[in-house]
Amino acid sequence: MSAAVEVRKLSYQYPQHGRLALDQVSFSVGEEECIGVLGPNGAGKSTLLLHLNGLLPEHVAPAPSIWIGGEPIGPKNLDLVRQRVGLLFQDPDDQLISATVLEDVAFGPRQLGVEGAILKALVGQCLDQVGLSGFEDRQPHRLSHGEKRRVCLAGVLACKPSVLVLDEPTSDLDPRGRREFKALLQSLPGAKIIATHDLELVVDLCSRVIVLDEGKLVAEGATRALLSNEELMLAHGLEKPHSLMHRHPHGPASPVS
Amino acid sequence: MHPLELESHGRAPLAGASSRLKLLAALGIITLTALLPRRPHILYLIPATTLLLLWPFCRMPLGYAVRRLLVAEMFILGIALLSLVRPAAAPIFFSSLIKSNLCVFSMLLLTWTTPFQDVLQELRRLRFPAVMLTTLALMYRYLPVLGEETRRMSRARASRTFARRRLGTWQSLALIIGQLFIRSADRAERIYLAMCARGWK
Amino acid sequence: MVWSCDWEPAEHKQMHLPDGFLDAKTALLSSGVGVAGVGLALRQVGNSVQSRQMPMLGLGAAFVFAAQMLNFPIAGGTSGHLVGGVLAAILLGPSAAVLVMTCVLIVQCLMFADGGLTALGANVFNMAVVNVVGGYFVFKLLRSVIRMEQHRATVFAAAFAGWFGTVLGAVVCAGELAFSNTVPWSIAFPAMANVHMLVGIGEGLATGLIVLAVLRARPQLVPSGRDAGFTLRSGALGYGLLICLGLTLFVAPFACPWPDSLEAIGARLGLPSQTTAAPLAGYRFPLIGSATVATAVAGAVGTIIAFIAAYALARAVVPVFGAPKKDASTGT
Repeated sequence: MSAAVEVRKLSYQYPQHGRLALDQVSFSVGEEECIGVLGPNGAGKSTLLLHLNGLLPEHVAPAPSIWIGGEPIGPKNLDLVRQRVGLLFQDPDDQLISATVLEDVAFGPRQLGVEGAILKALVGQCLDQVGLSGFEDRQPHRLSHGEKRRVCLAGVLACKPSVLVLDEPTSDLDPRGRREFKALLQSLPGAKIIATHDLELVVDLCSRVIVLDEGKLVAEGATRALLSNEELMLAHGLEKPHSLMHRHPHGPASPVS
Repeated sequence: MHPLELESHGRAPLAGASSRLKLLAALGIITLTALLPRRPHILYLIPATTLLLLWPFCRMPLGYAVRRLLVAEMFILGIALLSLVRPAAAPIFFSSLIKSNLCVFSMLLLTWTTPFQDVLQELRRLRFPAVMLTTLALMYRYLPVLGEETRRMSRARASRTFARRRLGTWQSLALIIGQLFIRSADRAERIYLAMCARGWK
Repeated sequence: MVWSCDWEPAEHKQMHLPDGFLDAKTALLSSGVGVAGVGLALRQVGNSVQSRQMPMLGLGAAFVFAAQMLNFPIAGGTSGHLVGGVLAAILLGPSAAVLVMTCVLIVQCLMFADGGLTALGANVFNMAVVNVVGGYFVFKLLRSVIRMEQHRATVFAAAFAGWFGTVLGAVVCAGELAFSNTVPWSIAFPAMANVHMLVGIGEGLATGLIVLAVLRARPQLVPSGRDAGFTLRSGALGYGLLICLGLTLFVAPFACPWPDSLEAIGARLGLPSQTTAAPLAGYRFPLIGSATVATAVAGAVGTIIAFIAAYALARAVVPVFGAPKKDASTGT
């Protein structure tokens, strides 16, 4: 069985300033696996995620370096790739483009030719899945940040992707919003790739992490083992998550040496 | 209370009426008013009574109507006063004044009861050019976002403004607007990517 | 967080015509040229704009609208705001700007009851076609003629074009009022032209400063004068013809100071005969003639002043050799 996502020697140079944003990155993600993508700001995390959806490079590279479910990303199958890979953007306002929630969740399926009652049912089902039943007629600018994010997720789920790619899914959420969003993500099937600074989220959701720094993949491994490596964490602008510092969740915190 | 916040007065009886009907009615009343003779005339009572009869069904508060009419009055009076400077000008002056106010009032009733997205739907049905429809829809969606962004930038700027010079204020306003444009361009790019990610072609 | 808004256009400083001032023929004619302008812009945008730039039209319209909400202080506690037509043309290109400004006017009319419905066509022609493209013509012309450091030339051209577009739009607006026989040309022209020669200073100053702000922070967002030509292929001829048509329709009949032509036009349009009655003829026509001539002279002087002011502005705010001045307040 082929991996859900396979990345081999992916490099990318920004045409505007010539900076190498990704440098020979390789990794793979299994069918039901959830992996975390860590790294300091500007490490190339978002650039990597855009590649997974075929949004970058601007002109498709001659030789493929990414495979989605065994299918190489190329100019011919971009539509298929974009349907299979659901990408949740960091700022929900970038993604929510329609005047109502209904219209917005329907945006993706409409491109796939879904119309009428089926579309309506699908939208209702997706909103239900993210815990926002009955929000169809609400206007995006009247939603809370957490609600906007959920509507975005519903819009992504409506395309029935097999891989979810999430860019900072918990940034700007309050603790309750984070907790609820985390539970929501946990409940969703399929492969997930989460780029985030929220290490607690990674500890709870991801079985494996990869660490990017300056476009290079500098570490890859099981979440707990890798995040406990304090030296590695500090070297790449990260830190050991709080939950891995104590033996018992409610015991006294061990001092950082 | 404002047209952008239409959900708040969505319960007016006319808010539920077909938006096409409302648009056509407003267009009809306004065209009729504009075509009436250019001197105060008994016929002016037709649009006036129609509007007065419609008003209760729109539940538009008196204060709002007065406030908006007063705002519009600045311009209306300006032009009307210009028309006074000619012989025998009174009929034209008064007729312009009455006509304009009647028309503004019908537009107020229309916008009060008709959310802009319904107007968009109507325009779509009328086969308005697709590019314009997309632009209008995106504009409507991002007005609050950009408004909020402008407000945040102005606030941040104000918190660091200690001296008041007029040209300095102009320059800092220009910086805010320039920055707003840059952010809009960046956001447009991200929106494009997000639309593509969901299969837009 | 629910967005609470105070978006009501608090003060009208734009030349939005309300309903009730234009007669049927003027409303129809101006709508005709306005629609033609928008149609041309749609064609141009369809030909030249890639799908990648499509969202920018909507965001550009929201940007112009948001920018119009900021109040620029003027003397004595009054304030004005940007209209942004020429600014949009410089930043987005003329055809995109025509569409953007048209959408702004549609939203102002149908969402905020700001500007008349039967006057929408006239407003689109004045503010989204004449103001935008007229200003852009001048911008391109100056930009290619002036030999100055690049940023300085752009700021200068932008400031002057902002002024010019405002005045041109106002003159056409005055023409429409006169053509409707609502306000006599001898009053409408001086009033509109003089007021907007003043208002235009603010518009020009703001346009120049904003273009400079974008140039400093992200120069690639301002199409440089050389590569973005306004050629026949990009509709310059069509727009030029449309503006000329508008000027011919609404302004030319009144602009000549000879009473004969006015009388003839008055007769053709079926003006009420009392306006040309004997007692008036004596004092009215010289008045028209002198007011038009006086305003034309004032216009010429105003143009020169605006030209010098724009030049001074560019010299004052753009340092020599274009080395970006360290501006501590640019960060956000």
